[in-house]
Amino acid sequence: MRYLLLCCFDEKRWNAIPEAQRGGIMKEYGEFLQSLDRSGQHLASAKLEPSSRAATVRGGNGKPAVTDGPFAETKEQVGGYHLVECKDLDEAISIAKRIPTIPHGGTVEVRALES
Amino acid sequence: MKYVCLGYIEPGKFENMTDGERNAMVDSCFTYDDLLRKNGHFAGGEALQPPGNAVTLRARGGKVTVTDGPYAETKEQLGGILILEARDLNHAIQLLSKHPGVQAGPFEIRPAADLAGMIRDSEQRRSKAKA
Repeated sequence: MRYLLLCCFDEKRWNAIPEAQRGGIMKEYGEFLQSLDRSGQHLASAKLEPSSRAATVRGGNGKPAVTDGPFAETKEQVGGYHLVECKDLDEAISIAKRIPTIPHGGTVEVRALES
Repeated sequence: MKYVCLGYIEPGKFENMTDGERNAMVDSCFTYDDLLRKNGHFAGGEALQPPGNAVTLRARGGKVTVTDGPYAETKEQLGGILILEARDLNHAIQLLSKHPGVQAGPFEIRPAADLAGMIRDSEQRRSKAKA
């Protein structure tokens, strides 16, 4: 079963973390992804550019409308995601718990993919 | 350049369509996906199970807590992701505007960050630390 781990973070809070500390978190991140590679559970990952660089496309009557910025004006924004292979939701949760941004204020939504 | 398109939809909207409506929607989306694929613009796509099956993790006082449900209680919820290969943001907007899925709900388009340099630097730091 494949699960999407959707990583959200308050971008202001992230940028306020000293660069050296952010580097340390990203280093832990590299190790986390390598361990998933080793267990064969890592299918795909991406880090997104800041939400200020997003555009949103909405359908209307006929012609889609395009606005600058992310879809939802939430305090936290999607910053990246991981696609992992797990036997069940519990295993996906135990992997998500190891995501190194969580202790620093990150939030992770775990969702199963349609098979 | 890769663009991650986050597709949002009102929960129940897809499920509450008549079979005919849903089949027409799915067929037109897949037809357009095939066109994107043929032109080298389709770099991946996944559909998610309903948000009722989601759980959310966050840290509180050093401990990781798990709650049922999606992260944000917005009217529309993430329903799937599509990864486009496009020249720039305008090109990605152009490609996605023609996607029939946009008629079902809004899509947020975000450029994927290039981590190649960061990964290389981290590998160097770690191999030094081991040495």
